[in-house]
Amino acid sequence: MLGSIYVTVAVAFTLTIGILNFLNFTIPAIFMITGVIAWAVAAHWLPLGVDGGLAWPLAFIIGIVAAVLASLIVERFTFRYLRIRHGDATEHAIPLVSSLGFLIIFENLVLIAFGSEAQAFPEKFKSDFYIGEIIIGLPQLMSLAISLLVVAFLSWILKTTNTGRALRAIAENPDTASLLGVDVRRIVPLVFLFSGLLCGVAGVLFVVNYSDVSPYMGEEVGTKAIAAMVLGGLGSIWGAIAGGLLVGLLEALSIHFFGADTVDVAVWGTLLIVLILKPSGLFGASRIGKGKL
Amino acid sequence: MAVPILQINCITKFFGGLKVLEDVSFDLMPGQRFGLIGPNGAGKTTVFNLLSGVYSVDSGSVILANQDITNLPIRKRIGLGLSRSFQNIRLMPHLSVLENVMMGQHCQANRITEMIKPIGWTKNNRWRQRALETIKDAGLEVDLNSTVSELPYGVRKKIEVVRALMSKPSVLMLDEPAAGLNPQETIELAGFLRGISDSNVTLLLVEHDMNFIHAICEKVVVLNFGLKIFEGTPKEVNRNKAVLEAYLGTSAMESSGVT
Amino acid sequence: MMGGYVEGIIAILCINLIFAYGIYLTAASGQLNLGGAGFQAIGAYVAGVCSNYFELPIVFSVLGGILGAGLIGFLISFPVLRTRGVYMVLATFAFALVISGIILNSEFLGGATGMVVPAYAPVEVLIFSTFIIILIVFWLMASRVGLAMRAVHDDDVVSEIMGVNVKGIQVFAFTLGGALAGLSGALYAHHYSFIEAQYFNAVLSIFVLLFVLIGGTQTAWGPLFGASFFTLVPEILRLGDTEWRYVIFGILIVLMMIFRPQGVVTRTFVHRASKIFYRTAER
Repeated sequence: MLGSIYVTVAVAFTLTIGILNFLNFTIPAIFMITGVIAWAVAAHWLPLGVDGGLAWPLAFIIGIVAAVLASLIVERFTFRYLRIRHGDATEHAIPLVSSLGFLIIFENLVLIAFGSEAQAFPEKFKSDFYIGEIIIGLPQLMSLAISLLVVAFLSWILKTTNTGRALRAIAENPDTASLLGVDVRRIVPLVFLFSGLLCGVAGVLFVVNYSDVSPYMGEEVGTKAIAAMVLGGLGSIWGAIAGGLLVGLLEALSIHFFGADTVDVAVWGTLLIVLILKPSGLFGASRIGKGKL
Repeated sequence: MAVPILQINCITKFFGGLKVLEDVSFDLMPGQRFGLIGPNGAGKTTVFNLLSGVYSVDSGSVILANQDITNLPIRKRIGLGLSRSFQNIRLMPHLSVLENVMMGQHCQANRITEMIKPIGWTKNNRWRQRALETIKDAGLEVDLNSTVSELPYGVRKKIEVVRALMSKPSVLMLDEPAAGLNPQETIELAGFLRGISDSNVTLLLVEHDMNFIHAICEKVVVLNFGLKIFEGTPKEVNRNKAVLEAYLGTSAMESSGVT
Repeated sequence: MMGGYVEGIIAILCINLIFAYGIYLTAASGQLNLGGAGFQAIGAYVAGVCSNYFELPIVFSVLGGILGAGLIGFLISFPVLRTRGVYMVLATFAFALVISGIILNSEFLGGATGMVVPAYAPVEVLIFSTFIIILIVFWLMASRVGLAMRAVHDDDVVSEIMGVNVKGIQVFAFTLGGALAGLSGALYAHHYSFIEAQYFNAVLSIFVLLFVLIGGTQTAWGPLFGASFFTLVPEILRLGDTEWRYVIFGILIVLMMIFRPQGVVTRTFVHRASKIFYRTAER
C-alpha cells in the first residue's frame, strides 16, 4: 500500500503551503531525485560488490541529502525573489509557476543523466522482512511507522520549539512576524529543508517497498499526494495524514472492485466531490490557500 | 419638510459576540454635507460597509430614496445612487487611470450592446468623453494611461473620489478622503467637495481631521464604541461633554480642568 | 503550397493559440484553470463522436465540440467557483484527471486505444479559426465585459460594489474559456485524425497555463506571445526533442518569474510599445 508514502509527501506539500502559502510543485521531482540518486550511488558509484553491508544505508543517506539540497536550491531561486507585490487574485500563481519550471528542469536533468528506463535497486528488501504467514509485509508496516514518526517529530517541533513558534508566526503574517523579530530570511529555508527531508524519507520508503526507481516515479506519487493534501485540507498536518491514508484506501478499494484503470477516476472524483461539498477540504482551515477576503 | 434621501433606522451589527454597532439611526437630507466622526474603532467604516452591503445588517433598516435597500444585493446599490470610496485605497492596481474611472460607469451600461461595445478601440464614445470631462473637472493632472499602482498616494486618493462620482450618485460616501493629504491638497479637496454638493449630491464623510469637517460639514454624527453619542452642527460638537470624553477620556479631561 | 514541416508547425501553433486563449479568459478574470486538457479532451471527443457516429459535416462536429465543452464549463463553473486560490487550481486539475479517466474507461470512446476521426480539416481551417478567435478575444477585452473581467481579477469585492455581476462574469469567462479549449480540441481531432486520452494529460494542462501566465494576463497580447514563443522557439533553435530543450524551457520559466512576475507582456509594456509604434509611423 502506498498510503504511508502519500502521507509523507502530502505533509511535505502541506508544510510549504501552510506556512508560506506556496504550492510547491517541485516536491514530486525532489521525491524522485532521492530514489534515483540512491540507486545511482548503490549501483554505480559505490557498488555493493564486497559484502554490501553499509552501501545501501549510505546510498539512502546520500539520496536524502540530495533531496534537501535540491529543495534549498528551489528556495533560493523561487521563493526568495517572489515577494508578493499586488493583492490580486492570481498572485499566488507566481511561485507556483516557478516551481513548475523547476519540476521540468529537475525531471529532464535526471532523464539526461540516467535515461528514462526504470532501474532495479540492487538490494532487495521484501524477502528479508517476511515473517511466517503474515500477509501484510513488514516493509509496509515499517513505512507507516517511520512516516508517522517523522511527521509526529515535525509537529512536535512546530508546537514546542522556538523555531516552530517562529514558523507559525510566519504562517499567520510574514510582515508582522519580521516586525516582531523573526528572521524570515533565515527561517524560510528551514521550511524547505523540512519538506526536502520528508520527500527524501518518502523516496527511501518507496525504494524499500518497490525496489524500483524511475524518472517518472514522482509524478504518480506527487499528484496523489496533492490529492491527499487537498482532501485533508491545506495546511493541516493531521489532515494530510488522514488524506494520505484515505487516498491509499481508495486506491486499494477501486483496484479490488473495478480494476486498475479506475484508480484515477476514484481518487480525483472523490477529491472533486469533497471540494464541491466543502471547499476547504475535510479538515482545512479556511484561511489558507485563498486570496484575500 | 423635505423627505430624507437616506434613512438609517436602528442598525445593529455583531462580529461574532462583539456588538460593533448598536441602534444607530440618522437621516440625510438631499444635498446635505454630513460628517461621521468618532475615535478609532467606533464603527464608522462599519456603517459604510453596511450601507454598501459588504456586511449584512443584523437588525434595523436602510432606506434610500423611499426604497428599502437593507437586504439588496451589493451590486444593485450603486445603480440606485449610493456610491463610496475606501479608507485604504481600493483601486484596481493593473488598470489604467482612465479604466479605473470608467469602472465607475459600469452600473449605467444596462443593455447588452453597451456591454460588448469595444470602448477601448474608439476614442470618441460617450463613456470615454464623460470620464475625461469628470477627470478634468476634478483637476486631476496625470497620464491617463499610466497604471494606478505607479502613482502617488494623493493622486490615487483623488482618482477614487472621481471613480465614485462617475456613477452619478445621489449619496456619495467618502471614507477619510483627506487622510494623508497635505494642507494645500486638503483645501483643494474641500473646495471640490463643496462644488459637488452644490449640484445636489448628498455627501457622507468619515473623517478624523476636525478642521476639514468644520470646513465642509453642515451636520455631524459622533459614534463611540458603536453607539451614537451626538448629532448636531460642527460648532456644537466642540462644546459637547460626551464627545470630549469619548475622544480624550475622562481622566484626561479632569486633569486638564475641562468640566 | 506550404512545406509539410512548416505546415505542421503552423497547425500546432494554431491549436495552442486557441487553447491558450481559452485558459486566458478565465485567468484574465482572476481564476486559474489547471484543467485545460480536460476541456480540450471534451471538445475533441464530442467532435469525434459527432463526426464518426452521427456523420455530421466538420463544421457541425466542431460546433458540437465547442458547445459540449462550453456546456460542461458552464456546469462545472458553479461548484468550482465556490473554491478559491489554490483550491480552485486543484479542483480544475482534478476535473481534468477525472475526464481523462472516464475516457480511458469508456469502450464507446475507444478507451486506451484511442479514436480515429477520418474527417480531415486542412491547416487553412485552423488558421482561419485562429484569426476569428483572436479577433473575438481582442474585441471582448476592449469592451466593458473585458474591463469588468480585469476589474474582477484585481478586486472582486470592489467590482461588486461598482455594480459588476462578479459571479456572472466569472461563469461567463469559465464557460467561454471552456468552449475555446473545446474548439482547439475539436480542431486537433479533425486535423490529426487520431485522438487518445493519454494525450490530454496533466502535463498539457500545466503547459498551457504556463503559456498564459508567462505571456501575461493583463492584455490579450499575453497569450499570443506566450503560446507563439513556446511553440516556435524550440523549433527555431532546432533543439528537436532532446531533454535539453525542456531544461532550457524550465530555466526560462524560472528566470521570467524572477524578472517579470506579471508576465512578459504587461499593460504598461503594450502602452509604451504602441507609443513607439505611432511615433515611428508619424515620421
